[in-house]
This record gives sequence, C-alpha cells and structure tokens, in this order.
Amino acid sequence: MTTTLDAPGRGTRPARGGGAPTSKQAGTKKYRLAAVGFLSPALLLICAFVVVPMVLTFWISLHRWSMFTPLTDMEFVGTENYRSVLSSASHLAALTNTVVYVGLSAAVTIPLAFLLALLLYFPGLHGRGLVRVLLFSTYVVPTVAIVIIWSNLYAPGHGPIDNVLALAGISSPGWLSNPDTALLSLVVFNVWQMLGYYVVLLVAGLTQIPEEIYEAARLDGAGPVRQTVSITVPLLRNTLVFVLLMTVINSIQVFDPVYLLTQGGPVDSTNVLSFDIQRTAFQFGLAGEASAMAFSLLVLLAAVAGILVGAGRRRS
Amino acid sequence: MDVNRNRSRRGTFAAVAAALALTLAACSSGGGQSSPTGSASAGGGGEPQKITFLTHWGPEQVSQLEDAAKKFSQEEPGITVTVQAVPFANLLSTLRTQGGSPNGPTMASIYDAWLPELVRDGVAAPAPKDVADDVQGAWAQNVVSASSAEDQVYGFPNEIDLYALNYNTRLLKEAGLDGPPTTFEELRSYAQKLTDEAAGRHGFGVITNWASGAVHPFLSLAASNGGHLLDDQGKAALTDDRVVAVAELYKQMLDDGSIDPEASAANANTTGPYLDNFAGGRTAMIIMANWWQGSLKETMGDAYADVATAPIPVGPDGDRSSSISYSWLTMVNGNADEKAQEASWKFLSWLNGPDSGENGSSAMGDILVGMGILPSRTSDIDAHKDALSDPFLKTYVDGLPDATPFPTVVGGDAASQAVQKHVESLIFGREDPQQAMEAAASEVDAALGK
Repeated sequence: MTTTLDAPGRGTRPARGGGAPTSKQAGTKKYRLAAVGFLSPALLLICAFVVVPMVLTFWISLHRWSMFTPLTDMEFVGTENYRSVLSSASHLAALTNTVVYVGLSAAVTIPLAFLLALLLYFPGLHGRGLVRVLLFSTYVVPTVAIVIIWSNLYAPGHGPIDNVLALAGISSPGWLSNPDTALLSLVVFNVWQMLGYYVVLLVAGLTQIPEEIYEAARLDGAGPVRQTVSITVPLLRNTLVFVLLMTVINSIQVFDPVYLLTQGGPVDSTNVLSFDIQRTAFQFGLAGEASAMAFSLLVLLAAVAGILVGAGRRRS
Repeated sequence: MDVNRNRSRRGTFAAVAAALALTLAACSSGGGQSSPTGSASAGGGGEPQKITFLTHWGPEQVSQLEDAAKKFSQEEPGITVTVQAVPFANLLSTLRTQGGSPNGPTMASIYDAWLPELVRDGVAAPAPKDVADDVQGAWAQNVVSASSAEDQVYGFPNEIDLYALNYNTRLLKEAGLDGPPTTFEELRSYAQKLTDEAAGRHGFGVITNWASGAVHPFLSLAASNGGHLLDDQGKAALTDDRVVAVAELYKQMLDDGSIDPEASAANANTTGPYLDNFAGGRTAMIIMANWWQGSLKETMGDAYADVATAPIPVGPDGDRSSSISYSWLTMVNGNADEKAQEASWKFLSWLNGPDSGENGSSAMGDILVGMGILPSRTSDIDAHKDALSDPFLKTYVDGLPDATPFPTVVGGDAASQAVQKHVESLIFGREDPQQAMEAAASEVDAALGK
C-alpha cells in the first residue's frame, strides 16, 4: 500500500513564473502554518529552558566569574578556562574516572540485565512478577536512602560484607576508603541500583518479538542458544542500543553517590565530571571553569549519543 | 515568499527574542545591586524591616536562635528576623546562588576562609564604625583579624575551632603508657605500642575524603613544628623542611603499621569510618576539633569516659604546641538595601552583646556553648567558664592563645583540597613525602592565583 501525504518539505514546488497558487499549494501552506502554530509553544519553551541555558553556559565558560556578582561583572578571558581545565590534574582524573565508571557500568549492567530479562521472560518461571517488582524497587527508592544502606554495607572492618569476607579469611580491601577499590565499589552500587530498570526495558523489548519466529526456528531444529543469538539479539537490537545509551548517559552524570559517600576521594579516585563541576562552581567559586567543564561534558554526551544512535541505525 | 510565512517567521523570531530577553533578565536580576525589593527591604521611613539569618545549625540551635530573634523583636518591634537553615555542605552553595542578590539572606554565618572572596565581590558589607569598635574591644585580636580584611571588620566573630590530640585512656593504660605523647618522637612510639593488628587496632588515625579532616591535623602538626601553609609572600610553604617533616612522620607511622589508611574515610556528614573506629576503640589516637565532642558522646555512650584530649605534639623544630584554628563570623549582605543592613547590624549587635543571654553571656554565646562549641567573645568565655572547663574542652580553650589561624585568602578552600589530595597520595603510598609536598605546593599556588 502506498499512501502519499503532503508533508512539510515534501510538497510540490510553486509553479515557475508566479502563477496563482493551486488548491494543493494553498493546502500545504495552511498545513505548514498550522504546524508552526502548534509547535511554537514547545519550541519557545525548549529555547528558553534548553537552548538559552546552553548558550549562556558557553558564554560564561569564556569568562572569569565567581557567581557572587551580576553577569554584567564577568571578565572575558577567551579560552583560558578551557586551557586551565585541560591542564588540571584533578579534572583529567575526573575524566578518566568517568570513562572507567561508564565503561565498567555498561560492561556489567547490560549483559547481566539481558540474562535476567531472558530468565524473567521465561513463561515457566514462577514468581517472576515478584522478582521484577523487587528488581525495579532499587530504581525507585531515592539514592540518598540507598546510600545509607550501602555506606553500612561497605563499612570497613565491621560492615556485613567484610564480616562475610572475614568468615572466608579474606581481609577487607577498604572499599570506599581505598583508592584502588573506591571507584569499583561505586560501580557495584550503580549496577545494583539501575539493573532493575534496564531489565524492565529489555523484558518489554522481548515481548515485541513475535512468538511465531521462535516456533519456526524450533521446527528448523534451533536450540535455545541458537535462538537467542540468531533471533533474540538481532530483534532486540534497538532496545539494547537504547539501554546502552541510557546506561552511558546515566553513568556519565553520576553525582549523588560520589557526593554522599566519597566526596571524590581518596586521592581523586572517585572524582567524576559532575562532582568536579559542582565542586569547581559552588565550592571554589570558579563558575567560568565549571561552565567550560559543563559545556565540554555536553559536547561529549552529544558525541557519544550520536555515535551510539548512528551505529544502531547503520546496523538496522 | 508569501506574507503569511513572513508574518509567521517574524512572530516566531519575536517570541524567541522575548524568551531570550526574559531568561537573560531573570539570570542577571539575581545579581543586580540596585533593586531594593524583596524580603530584605521594606522601603524607607519607619516601615517594618524583615531580615533573614542564614545558618547551617541544626534544629535545636535554630529554635534557640528563633527564640532570641523573637526576644529582640519585642525590644525592636519594627524588625522581624527569619532564620533560614541549610546543611553545612550546602551553606556556601546557597550563598553563591542567593548571596549576590538583594533578595538573598540579609545575614549569614560564614567560615572565615570564605570572607576574602565575599569581600572582593561586595557580598560582605563592612561593619559600621560603632560595630567595628565593639568587635575590636570585646574579642581577642587574633579572632578579630580572622573576621577582617584589609584592616576592616566585616562581621561578628562567634564560633572558634581548633584541634587537639584525642586519645583513648583505656588503651593507653593497657599499653602501659602514662599520659599522652608530647613530641613527634613520642607520637610515633606511642602509636607503635598501641597498634595491635591481630585485634584490628591501630595507634593513630588519619582522615581521608574530607579536606578539613586531614589538612587541619596535618597543618596543626606542621604548625607545632614551626611550619606554615603559606610564607610571608602568600606562596605555598609546603616544601619547607618543617612541613616535609610532618609528611615524613606520616610515612614512618604508615611503614610502622601504626596507621590503617582503610579506616580513614569520612563522608558527606563529616562522619564515617574514621569516627566509628575511634569511637569503637579500633583507633587509639586521632587529631580532631572541639566540635566533635557531641558526636563522640552520642556514638560512644559510657565509653566516652575513656576519651581525653591533649595539645598537639611538638615537632623537633617547634618551640610550642600550636593548633591551626579557624573561626566563623556573621556577616551582613552588602547587596541588601541600606535599611535592611542597618536593621541587621542592630540585631547582630544585640545577639552578640553581653546583655542578650544569661548571666553576662550573649545570646550567641549561650547557643554556641549549648552545642559544645567555643564562643570567642571574651566576656562569653568568662561567663561560660564552668562549661569550658570541661576536661575535653579545656585543652582547646588553653590552646587558643598559641593557635595559628588558617590563612584567609582567596582560593583558600581550593588550596585546602590540593593539600588534602597529596596528603592522601602519601597515605596511600602513591607519592613519597617530598613528592607529595612539592606537588601540593604547586597546586596550592595555582589555586591561590585564580
């Protein structure tokens, strides 16, 4: 079935020589005007609350400013803030830590969420609804509350995790107070908190795959592994790309556990971009440098999102 | 192009431009200095004044402050004081986002290290002459200097904090040690004797993940060895032998196994494993401030009876024990209108004056002592002599005359963070003492230059 609609940008061109508009052309203009009318409120809001703050952030990143004084008192310094940020050992540590945190979070979360989703989608599993609710509950509980629980779990020497390790004769690595394990401990926290959310997304994706395809595969003699590799993964690709995108975006923006549990330490081992931006702006009063960091983060996020979405489309 | 499209585009551009202008206006109005509107202002003449006091105190102290404000309003019916409380961790960010506005808090309790920047940006109003004279006459000179910039007083000093050695008397007794260590050498040997790996106990505790926790003990030991954070030219003095000696002492105690780095972490509430370990008897000695007395009592219960305090041990190049000290002051928002500022100074003069509290104390002095915090007004120290002679606090009170004030300079907070980071590098074996101090000095100088 081929139905063609006169969409904006696809309508017929006006006749050369400026003749009177045809009824089809007039209809297209009305359609466009109506579209502009309907879209304007949303576009204005996006401009006011997204585009303008972005532009403002970029503008501030070119100035020296403490936030205590009016915007008009800013001192223009060009790209000095960007140079300062790029030469700051703390900021480079924050960038490295963020990349490691994002990479580890994605590498652990997505395969684990995929396996759990497959398990929970299996019709023969009793109590799967309850398991889904329990998994999702970690996502809906506020991070502050979860942090209290995890700070006790990680308590060095006398916390429950260390007590269990002690039974096996393993001494505590220090978890959050050891620069070698602190970031990893935060990754575990993140995986535990976010896993349920991604499992729910993947289960929803699994329900979209027609059962007939599996039946046909079974008739052809394909086993569970073959079905997973040749049917589930390819047909779940869009959902997996979305989950990957969400994992990356959420992980890049990690702030609460760092702020509440480690304050970026020890030795900058848990200093991540969002915490560094907050500390630079609100603690050190270097709003220009913080804006340079924030704008760089925005560009980084846009690039990562673009690459992931582009990769997903190419494969589709 | 047809007319409709032109109109549509013009309309869209106009609307976007209007939104842009509104947003920019909204952004910049926060910092405007000419608008006298808002809660802080009340017009001219004898109109009532509504002023706001921003603090980081807890609910009990906020309630005491509100009671004091009500009492003041009975004496000055034209002035109403509202208390705004935020957690300590949010105090500076609240000031940064609201303090530049005439509608922001009219008064704020601030850490003295923040004062230079607030003065530079016109957020802290200079005290009127009568207030400045009162402060100069009623407070000790080193406290007045912490509330001043370029010889101008900017507020009423209130809380003062310094550091002392806290130790567990039961553990010292069990180790056969009489009294606390008084020198670096004794600190090291005591820490060794108090360490019992099998029992999970270490002699000396350090604090990580919190700049105030490690910097002040570190710099207090440095001050007790004759060292300083900054030299006379305002440059980092961390590579001075007297400061490097403290880094070496840390390294020696780490090598001895007297310090457990993993038991050192603080969290956003400035408590955490380092407190739990001292309170639980797993750390025998730690250098901490007077204000944590309440936390110790609450956490330790009856075991608090084992806690004692002593002056910071003196280094081989030092001639006396000296703790780093820092203070808090209450300032007035320089962006608030003139009448709101006048009302604020009037309230603060009353709050910090000798007649607003009990038995010759100021109302502020009563609130501070109620929290276990040292007041700084001379008459308040006299009025609360009994409370301040508490064995835990007495060491701190006695240490006041020899305390070394933390330098109040622009970038001081970032400098603290830089020192903290490299002290942590040393603690976790990533840098040796000399490297750590050189790297810290470089970062401190960079932070102070911004």
